[in-house]
Amino acid sequence: MSMVIDVHVHPGFYEKISQDKQEIEFRKKHAHWDLMSPFPVELTRAQMKFANVDKLVLLPMDLTTSAGGWVVSNDQICTMVEEAPDIFFGFASVDPYREDALDVLEHAFKDQKLMGLYLNPSKQAFFPDDPMMDRIYEKCIEYDKPIIFSAGMSFCDDCLMKYGKPLNFEPVAIKYPKLRICIGHMGWPFIFDTAAMLLKYPNVYADTSMLYMDSPEQFMHDVFMKQYGRLWLDNDLGDKIMFGSNNPRFRTARIKRGLESLDIRPETLEKILGGNAERFLGLEVK
Amino acid sequence: MVKLTTKNVLSEKEFQLISIREEVIKAVEESGIQNGIVLVMSAHTTAGVMVNEDLECLHVDMEKMLDKMAPVVADYAHSHYLPSYGATGGNAPGHLKQMLTGYEVVFPVIEGKALIRFAQDIYFAEFDGPQLRTYYIEVMGE
Repeated sequence: MSMVIDVHVHPGFYEKISQDKQEIEFRKKHAHWDLMSPFPVELTRAQMKFANVDKLVLLPMDLTTSAGGWVVSNDQICTMVEEAPDIFFGFASVDPYREDALDVLEHAFKDQKLMGLYLNPSKQAFFPDDPMMDRIYEKCIEYDKPIIFSAGMSFCDDCLMKYGKPLNFEPVAIKYPKLRICIGHMGWPFIFDTAAMLLKYPNVYADTSMLYMDSPEQFMHDVFMKQYGRLWLDNDLGDKIMFGSNNPRFRTARIKRGLESLDIRPETLEKILGGNAERFLGLEVK
Repeated sequence: MVKLTTKNVLSEKEFQLISIREEVIKAVEESGIQNGIVLVMSAHTTAGVMVNEDLECLHVDMEKMLDKMAPVVADYAHSHYLPSYGATGGNAPGHLKQMLTGYEVVFPVIEGKALIRFAQDIYFAEFDGPQLRTYYIEVMGE
């Protein structure tokens, strides 16, 4: 049995790294969160136990040049992983416009042992195939670290969705075939472009962190059983899609419940819930 | 005189009945109030406070009955993106179950003790867990 891994969690309200009220307000403003408040890691454990989830991948976001701060820093991700290494995997982030971006990444991968990189093209305002990104992709390949991109729709007021369209990642997938990349949120609403990317490029994955309307069961059914063909997950895309929730915007348990309600083969569900993530994260025994 | 006690509880399931009878009895005894009432109230809109008998079979029946009345999957108007939260409303059943069971209970306080009968257990009723929750015990009287 594979682990059950939620690959898309933003720990914006984890108590241990949420002591500064001004910082919480910064996170809320820049991640478009509201009416949420800090909670202890014991609650996360209870929620994971209830949902039968083994690991959460924690994602920071570096907005140094555009906003003067982070929506959870790499250091804070390390703090949470140290706090509960049995339930958390930590990713790094970097603002691609930083002059010291490579130093930040080198430190994150070499010293902090973070497992991958999170980038948000819409929020960080860059096109994935911008030449300035080459050095970042090459650093990820050097350390064999995957990248999760936020893609598709963004709720943030200052985000342009043009940066995060799934086909924007095609030049990256071609140029860096050894770089594993994930189109976050299935690139919704551009889900057919995402399907094409998943079919065409072995190094491209996507995650299910989307619940933009309706209940998890209704939304997942509409996307994966009606808008996509009924057999697409079982026969075509089941090796490339990973369970992700976008917690705290959408609860881990609820997104999982939506996926579990789909009429797909048990082995496909197991891959989506964790098997594909194990491969993407480089956890598989080679 | 009014004495307010604030209590926190960590629920572990989406639906969970957590007995708080002993906490209420203790809060009344420690309040020093001899005659009046005690109000026990949830601080939330998807978790309530209710009174019923502490029998596991009844817990099963209550959960089934509430699930029938407010099923997990239905065409809820609440299931849409809420800018005020930055999240999609996924807990309409929790709101409706709390509406059905109520969010507060009241007992008389006589000679320094809450007048709670043998079969009356008091529950913090979680309908949207797991969550870190708060409830209030307010003793009012003289």
